[in-house]
Amino acid sequence: MKLILSNISGVPIYEQIKQQVKSAIMSGDLQTGETLPSLRTLAKELKISVLTVTRAYTELEQEGFVKNIQGRGCFVLGQGSELLREQLICKIENNLSEAISAARVASLSEEELHHLLSILMEEKIDE
Amino acid sequence: MNNYLEVRNLSKSFEGFRLHDITFTLPKGYIMGLIGPNGSGKTTTIKLILNMLKRTGGEVKVLGFDNIADEQEAKRNSGVVFDSSYFSDEWKISQVEKSVSAFYENWDTQKFSEILEKFHIQPSKKVKELSKGMQMKLMLACAFSYDAKLLILDEPTSGLDPVSRDELLHILSEYIEDGGHSVLFSTHITEDLERAADYITYISYGELFFSGRKDEFVDSFRIVKGGCEELSAELRKKMTGIRIFSTGFEALVKTGDLKQFAHLNVEPASIDDIVVFTGRKGGQYE
Amino acid sequence: MNNIWKAVKLDFSLVKPYVKTICFTMILPVVFVVVNRSLLTGISFAMCFTAMTTGYTFSITEKNSMERLYGILPIRKSDMVIGRYIFIIIMGLTALIFSLAVHPVILTILGETISKFDFINAAAIGIFLFALYTVFQLPGYYKLGSIKGRVFMYIPVAGFLITLLLITKIPVSESRLLLTVINSPVLLMLSAVIFVAAMYTVSILVSIKILKNKEM
Repeated sequence: MKLILSNISGVPIYEQIKQQVKSAIMSGDLQTGETLPSLRTLAKELKISVLTVTRAYTELEQEGFVKNIQGRGCFVLGQGSELLREQLICKIENNLSEAISAARVASLSEEELHHLLSILMEEKIDE
Repeated sequence: MNNYLEVRNLSKSFEGFRLHDITFTLPKGYIMGLIGPNGSGKTTTIKLILNMLKRTGGEVKVLGFDNIADEQEAKRNSGVVFDSSYFSDEWKISQVEKSVSAFYENWDTQKFSEILEKFHIQPSKKVKELSKGMQMKLMLACAFSYDAKLLILDEPTSGLDPVSRDELLHILSEYIEDGGHSVLFSTHITEDLERAADYITYISYGELFFSGRKDEFVDSFRIVKGGCEELSAELRKKMTGIRIFSTGFEALVKTGDLKQFAHLNVEPASIDDIVVFTGRKGGQYE
Repeated sequence: MNNIWKAVKLDFSLVKPYVKTICFTMILPVVFVVVNRSLLTGISFAMCFTAMTTGYTFSITEKNSMERLYGILPIRKSDMVIGRYIFIIIMGLTALIFSLAVHPVILTILGETISKFDFINAAAIGIFLFALYTVFQLPGYYKLGSIKGRVFMYIPVAGFLITLLLITKIPVSESRLLLTVINSPVLLMLSAVIFVAAMYTVSILVSIKILKNKEM
């Protein structure tokens, strides 16, 4: 799994870890049952505080992405879990609402917006 | 035992300076930064922990041992790094080991030579031939050779180049990796702590300003920026510290009060920001 | 006890780089032996010079800010002080034994004869003088440090001059007690040892008290 932290993004470091672990799970980089790096090792390697990693892992557990088993490590829970899907749908909704607001500002009609979406989707498929 | 260092209501009066009612706890397995401007009482606190100064009041426990009643037991378990070497300049590194190792029953000679090698310190060199960074590593090597559980560093990075400072942070995070060691790290270079410290204890003018998780510390403040015309007397009252310049102002505010500043440019605060804005009496500087 | 010996060893390692200088101060009194042709003078000078080197441990400690090392070592302050005294007594005894071995040889070569009495007399006075110097010096160094306490380095010199002055003026012949002691080598030695032990005990207690109250 790849973890790259930015000091200037303004996003707190624990949040960056969470986001990147989540996207690794979604992309399949992290498979069900795999363990995350040990908390203290990760802190050492990234030169960040142990409590920062603890917070990221704890929140990931609370959100149902991983399961922390005392003394054995942090295990990735199923990728296809309902929860993950829900979160993804939520993300889509948010992004689409943003697109709609932007379209309103740009006085784009509903039809044009649909059209734009289909073009973009075709491009993605081509990729 | 879960707390490697407990400091309760620690006080000390000198002529012209008073350290008053300092209380903090460092749990096992973590790094705590002890911060504050020069002369705020960081070194005094450390010397009181080591019983090198006589306290006026309070209590200190190192791994559960009282620092005065069980002084030897407390010291057997702690390692100390000062800003410069406390060995004789004329000693060779091998002599340093001979002189110091006798005092620790669990001194591990093998480990000492391994660490020296890892730190690139030649045992045949004299202490005075080592650079400042190397001298710091020598003190660390000694502490590691008797497996000190609590490491106390007093301004170890002042006068060090960025490479040595980075190395030190790496050594420290390795040291606490197994969860069985703790570090108390006093510094005025807060950049060192920004990432690696788990806890922060901030002393200002001899008084405890904050002690707790670093995230909580940093998160409880924000920096707001705006033009001079946006600064009302009411807003100003809510600010912890402010700097006004010809084209605008910069201020430190409590995160809880953020709503009133929502119209301004809001940024996260760094440890440095907090120390700079709170370190001056009156909270204003030009 | 164990810790005391560790402290003694630590002191040895402190002065190790200065061994040459210290050896020189032991050899120097030979000159006085040759000039003065007296064992007593030679031994007195030897002990006086050696006493003047006892500040080394203090000045080296200060120069390297080693009070911080002493501050973090797991050892009681009293053990540290006793260790320092033992180290200095060992230095004194070394100088005494060296001088007692070398000076008579030189004197014999020069054609002087040395009686057993002269020998024991010189030894007792040597021990007594060294103790007299150091029991004042060490608390002074502990209290004021080696720089401000430098004045204590001259105690041996002053003490030496005063002793020389007094020795000739004490009306030995008028006190029966003194006469008995001086004429009996065993009594002389014994009284020197008891007196010296008492002086050191007081001095050590004073030094421990000073160090315990000192802030580093």
